[in-house]
Amino acid sequence: MATFDVVKRDAPKARPALSKFSWAWLGVLPFFLFAFMFLIYPSSTIALGSFQDTKTHTFTFQNFAHLLQSPSLIASYWISIKISLITSIGGGIFGFLLAYSAIRGGLPRFMRSSLMTFCGVASNFAGVPLAFAFITLLSPSGVLTGWLKAMGYNPYFHGFQLYNFWGLSIVYMYFQFPLMVLVIAPAIDGLRKEWLEAAENLGASSFQYWRYVAFPILLPAILGTMILLFGNSFGAFATAQALTGGAINLVTIVIGSQLRGDVLGDAGLGYALASGMVVVMVIAITGYTLLQRQTERWLR
Amino acid sequence: MTHLKLTNISKEYGGTTVVQDFNLDVEQGEFVSFLGPSGCGKTTTLRMVAGFEKPTSGTITINGQDITNIAPNQRNVGMIFQAYALFPNMTVAQNIGFGMQIHKESKGAIKERVNEMLALINLEKHANKYPFQLSGGQQQRVALARALANRPQVLLLDEPLSALDAKIRVQLRSEIRAIQKKMGITAIFVTHDQEEALSISDRIVVMYEGRIEQVGTPFEVYNFPNTRFVANFVGSLNTADAEVVDPVKGLLSMDGIHFESAEGTKDRKKGDKIKIAIRPERFGFASEQKKANVVDSTIENITFLGSVVRIQLKIGNTKFNMDTFNNPFLELPKIGAIEQVTCSREAVLVLDE
Repeated sequence: MATFDVVKRDAPKARPALSKFSWAWLGVLPFFLFAFMFLIYPSSTIALGSFQDTKTHTFTFQNFAHLLQSPSLIASYWISIKISLITSIGGGIFGFLLAYSAIRGGLPRFMRSSLMTFCGVASNFAGVPLAFAFITLLSPSGVLTGWLKAMGYNPYFHGFQLYNFWGLSIVYMYFQFPLMVLVIAPAIDGLRKEWLEAAENLGASSFQYWRYVAFPILLPAILGTMILLFGNSFGAFATAQALTGGAINLVTIVIGSQLRGDVLGDAGLGYALASGMVVVMVIAITGYTLLQRQTERWLR
Repeated sequence: MTHLKLTNISKEYGGTTVVQDFNLDVEQGEFVSFLGPSGCGKTTTLRMVAGFEKPTSGTITINGQDITNIAPNQRNVGMIFQAYALFPNMTVAQNIGFGMQIHKESKGAIKERVNEMLALINLEKHANKYPFQLSGGQQQRVALARALANRPQVLLLDEPLSALDAKIRVQLRSEIRAIQKKMGITAIFVTHDQEEALSISDRIVVMYEGRIEQVGTPFEVYNFPNTRFVANFVGSLNTADAEVVDPVKGLLSMDGIHFESAEGTKDRKKGDKIKIAIRPERFGFASEQKKANVVDSTIENITFLGSVVRIQLKIGNTKFNMDTFNNPFLELPKIGAIEQVTCSREAVLVLDE
C-alpha cells in the first residue's frame, strides 16, 4: 500500500504591505514640474508682484490704485472684452452652424472628417504665423486684395482695414470658429434622433422641437464653448502684437509693454493688470466648467 | 371592429425589400406583438405606423381614416422607444405634459392630466426630478405616461423593455399590460423576446425576412406553429430527420424508432422525408404515464435551471432535450442510465424537410 508522507508546510507568508511610495509618481513628475514652472510659479509671482512696490519691494495697493485711476488702462480691458465678445459670439454662431451642417445636415461623411481636420489645424494656428498669413493675404498689397482689385473691387476703398479693431476681429475669427466646431461637435453628436421622433410623435413641429428640446439641450454647451472662446481671445497676445504692432490697446499688449523691462515699464502695474486678467479667466473657466457639466449630465 | 388596418404594406430601401405584403387587422383595445429576429422588419413596420418611415406601397388606416401619408406629428399615435427618449432638459412632469403643451391645452388641464398619469405609473413623488435622476424602469414608466397623456389612438412600443434588467423587465411588462387594459387602448408591441410576447399579447405576429410567418394567439403560435421558422423561433424545440412510414396513421420513423403523430400526414407518401419536432416539456418518463410513443433513451446530461430541470437524452442517434419541473422530492435519473420516455401523439409536430 502506498503511503504518503505528510509534509508540514508553513502557511504562505502574507504579502508584505505595499510600500507607501509608488513609482508611478515618477511618471507624472514631469507634469507637476511643468505645472509648477509655467502655471503655479508665474501665477504666484503675478499675485505677489501686484501687491509689491517695484522699487522698495514693500506691500502696497498702489498698483491697483494706479490701474483703477487710469482711463486708458481700464479702456484696454474694455477693448479686450469687446473683441473677445465679438469673436466669441460671431465665431460661436458660425462654428455651431458649420458643425451642425457637417454633422447633422445630411452631408457626405467625408465633409465631417475634412472639416474636423481643418479645424484641428486652424484652431491652433495663431500668433505670428497667423498674422503673417493675413498680412500676405489681406493687407493692402496682399494676394487676395490684389485679386479683388483685379476684379475691380478694392476693399480698402470701402472701409476695410486689416490693422484696426475689426481687421483684428476677422483674424481672431480664424482660430475662434474652428475651436467652436471642435468643442461643440460632441454635444451635437449627443443629440439623439429619438428626441426628435418623440417630439414629433407628441405633435411637435420641427420648430417646436428646436424651441423646446434641441436648443435648450444644446444651450449650455453653446454658451460654455462661447465662454471658452471668450477666454481664448481674451488671452491672445502675439497675433495682435504682430499684426498691429501694439496699435490696438489690448490688455495683453499693455501688460507686455509694462513687463518688457524698458525704462517706461512698471512691472508692478503689469502684475496688477495680469491679476485682473486672471480673475476674468477664472470666471470664464468656472462658467465653462459649470455649463459643460450640465451638458454632460443631459447628454450622458 | 378593426381599429388599425395595415393593407399590403411593403417597404424597400434601395432595392432591398425589408417588409413585404404585410396585412394585419387589429381590433380596438387589442394588444398585438410583432415577434421576430433582428432585421425581420418588425421595427420598420412599427415605424411606418408611427409615420417615421413611409411605406413603398400599401395603406395604413386608423378607425377607417387613411394615415399613410399623414405627418408623424399629425397622427396622434403614442410611441415608446427602446432608449426611453425622455427629454433630458425637462422634469418628469414636464415630459409627461409636453404633448399637451404642444397642443396648447390649458395649464390646469395639463396639470390635472399629468397628476393622473403620475398616479397611473406610481411616480407621484418624482414629478420634479429630471430623467437622469431616475432608474431605467422609472424612465420607461415616464415614457409610457408621456405617450398616454395625449390620449393616442394607438400605442406603439418599440422594444421598450430590452434595456432593462430581467427582474424589472418582468415587472414592467405586467404594468404595461395592466395599464393598456385599463385604458382600453390598442397597442402594438415590438420584441424579439418570445417570452415577453407570449406573456403579454392578445395576438402575436411572427415575422421573418419581412414577411408574416404566422398570426395567432400565444397559445396557437406556441402549440401549433404553422411553419418551421415559427416552430424553431418560438420556444425551444427538438427537431430530427424522419420519414413517413404510414401516412394514414401518422406513423413516422426516426433512425428506425417509430413515433406517431396526430398531425395529418395524409397528404404525404410513404418514404417522404420530413422533420419531426417535439418541445422539451412534452416529454415525460414513461413510468409516469405509459401512453403512445414510448421509446428508450440514454440520459446524457442534466442541467438545473431553477424551476425547470433540463435533461439531455439520446434517442437512437439523436439528441433531445426534455424539460421537467424541478421537484426536490423526486429523484432524478443518473447520467448514463437508460430510461423510457414518452410523448403524446399531439406533441409530435411534422415539419417539411
